[in-house]
Amino acid sequence: MIPITLGVLALVDGLFAGFRAATGRNARIRKDAYNRRAAWRGLGVGAAGAAAVGLLVAIGIAVAADPGQRYDELVSAGGRMLLVLLPFAAVVVLSLISYLLLPMRESTFVMVLALGPFTLVRPAVAAVAGIVAAVGSTDRLVWLVAAVATASVLMVEPAVHRRWYSEPV
Amino acid sequence: MAVLEISDLVVSWDPATRQRLPVVKADVVARLRAAADARAARIVERIPTDGPNLDDAAVDRLLVRAHTELQRLGEELHMAQRFAEMLVPVLAAARDGGVHPLRVVDIGCGLGYVVRALASSGVLGPDVELIGVDFNPALVGEAQRLAVEERLPCRFVCGDAFALDEDATLYLSNGVLHHFPADALGTFFRAQDRPATAAFVHYDIAATRLAPLGAWIYHRARMREPLGRHDGVASARRAHGDDVLLAAAAQASGMETFLFEPTRHANPFCAAMRPVIGIRPALTARFRAELGRRAKGLVGPR
Repeated sequence: MIPITLGVLALVDGLFAGFRAATGRNARIRKDAYNRRAAWRGLGVGAAGAAAVGLLVAIGIAVAADPGQRYDELVSAGGRMLLVLLPFAAVVVLSLISYLLLPMRESTFVMVLALGPFTLVRPAVAAVAGIVAAVGSTDRLVWLVAAVATASVLMVEPAVHRRWYSEPV
Repeated sequence: MAVLEISDLVVSWDPATRQRLPVVKADVVARLRAAADARAARIVERIPTDGPNLDDAAVDRLLVRAHTELQRLGEELHMAQRFAEMLVPVLAAARDGGVHPLRVVDIGCGLGYVVRALASSGVLGPDVELIGVDFNPALVGEAQRLAVEERLPCRFVCGDAFALDEDATLYLSNGVLHHFPADALGTFFRAQDRPATAAFVHYDIAATRLAPLGAWIYHRARMREPLGRHDGVASARRAHGDDVLLAAAAQASGMETFLFEPTRHANPFCAAMRPVIGIRPALTARFRAELGRRAKGLVGPR
């Protein structure tokens, strides 16, 4: 369950990162298709990052003296990561739903007070999650996976932005 | 110490001919350093030059990029909806008062987000002509290109909004007021007190204590252009207080003037943008009636 939850979180985060990477680069009024495309691009890059992490995990387990123990160690680190990520993700999703559903002024309140600051602290939250996952283990593979997973999540937005949205449409 | 916005300094126009004037980079940098704004000076130092002057094409590209990002702020703060909330009742009152034609002019429209969004939604009705006006031809050109691309029923003009062939029924602006020094605001509002004009609606940043902090967080999270990040915070620091705006707007003596949901009546976060409104006294009753319960948010000069 923990690996699946982490994978889903990474993919959903990739969708949003793709959306953010494209914002501020298209001044058209009607741009739903543009935003959808950007989100898919983010998902694609996020999926590539998640696949790289999965490959690293698979290799690490394959070469381990005790694959079962290493797998348990990795799952345990993933659990610690979720302790940080899930509450943050829950609050972000709640804020997003509120922004979309609330009347104009209240949704502005949510944007200014929640969604803006959340975007700002997101890299720090991801970094803390990586650190919390790593420090609970002495296995260097866990450290490496935590570092690569954190980096792969954080690089989606800049990568998508640089590749497709460095200049206004 | 004066708070300066980079975007005000990197372009210059002849006040008489409105021709673009060369801007000497060293002068801009010196001005920003004199204002103790080393960060802004560094941003300007990175702009390409043509001899000693800032390169016009590079400045235009930079401003288009910054304004494109800035549109996101307008979208997220629902600025088009906020304008529609005020404009629909004003225009209904104007129609009732026999005002014709109905022409809305956006002063300092930039990329014309508000005009284009209102045109796209059609919320003001098919009998309303929408025009955006700005001194900067690069921004006006981009606004017109975007409008044509999306086939929006609006147009954009480069020049002085008060020197168009025909006056506006309603003048609006979004985030323009803080660009005027307080002692120049009266002239701006008096210029709108002209026979054919029924009303004005000007949104700007509410000058709350939290506004600069909120602007810093928001621009840090949402903007990539250093110029946009800098000027966003500077705008919040330069914003005029409620009393200053009301006193200045009252100089349009043929209008009744109000703030809508001013700072002291609203949560400081929600009042991030609030409008100053002027309307002909003959139309005020109908305007209030159209607003319904929201009319309680109208606050006149004390």
